[in-house]
Amino acid sequence: MSGMTENHLTEDGPSQDDFLLVKRVLGGDRRAFESLVRRHERRVFRVTLAVLGNVEDAEEAMQDAFTKAFRHLDQFRNEARFSTWLTRITVNQAIEKRNARRQYVPLVEAEMAEGPVTPRRYEPWRSNPEELYGKQEILRMIEAAIQSLPEIYREAFVLRDVEGLKAEEAADVLGITVPALKSRLLRARLMMRESLAPSLEQPPTLGKKILHAAQDMGTAVAMRMMKAAGK
Amino acid sequence: MPMMDCKEVLSNLSNYVDNDASAELRTAIEQHIGRCRRCRVVFDTTERALKMVIDVEPFEVPLAVSARLYTKLEKLLSGA
Repeated sequence: MSGMTENHLTEDGPSQDDFLLVKRVLGGDRRAFESLVRRHERRVFRVTLAVLGNVEDAEEAMQDAFTKAFRHLDQFRNEARFSTWLTRITVNQAIEKRNARRQYVPLVEAEMAEGPVTPRRYEPWRSNPEELYGKQEILRMIEAAIQSLPEIYREAFVLRDVEGLKAEEAADVLGITVPALKSRLLRARLMMRESLAPSLEQPPTLGKKILHAAQDMGTAVAMRMMKAAGK
Repeated sequence: MPMMDCKEVLSNLSNYVDNDASAELRTAIEQHIGRCRRCRVVFDTTERALKMVIDVEPFEVPLAVSARLYTKLEKLLSGA
């Protein structure tokens, strides 16, 4: 298994390096900003792509985000991680671009977030996806699954689970309440699971299928029988 | 805590995997998934899907996109 992405390392290492680079830029070494860009470009691009859904707009929003970050670097306080600060700028740029491009808010999609959640797949997964697929294949599967999420779920998922923002931070960045964020996130997570499932499920044997169907239908009956048997 | 049904258990899936559930809620969920295969599968596979996402390194930015970013950056940093 590969190492965790930078945002999931909450130790001081990476954010301390970021902080030192910020100090260098503010001290007049403008070139140090390039190192910050190199460290964060993949994450920034993933965020803009998640919000905007196409490479052209995502590219433009990424350029705008880094430009803005550079111009406002003196407003960065070391209270938050640099990556969180940059993510906030990035999301704002991307959302601004999206709103400029769009005349209306997709109400239907916004309402979907409140409905009940009903998973469709109930087969367990194979123990090790790494044994079935190469690293690049797994990466492609994940990226495709993320891109297939409807927009409002995709941005919640990317901020919270990919970029590692806290629920409060992600809600704040998206301008929604924490319960709304959590509701979108739950749907997004279940959708991710369902899109990854076809490649990862353990194909059930006929015997298991019958057993599962019996279990699914008969849990209450089985419990009553067990109770009656004194178990 | 009273017995939870599948709907309630699923609505608490995020709280459970994020470790945001109280001890009491955790126990109630675990009791339910202990006897409900469907919810058990959903919880387990969702946790595994999340772990896959967390463990994977992000895609490289497409070369041409990255090249244009650094060209733009060059102008910005040289004060143009």
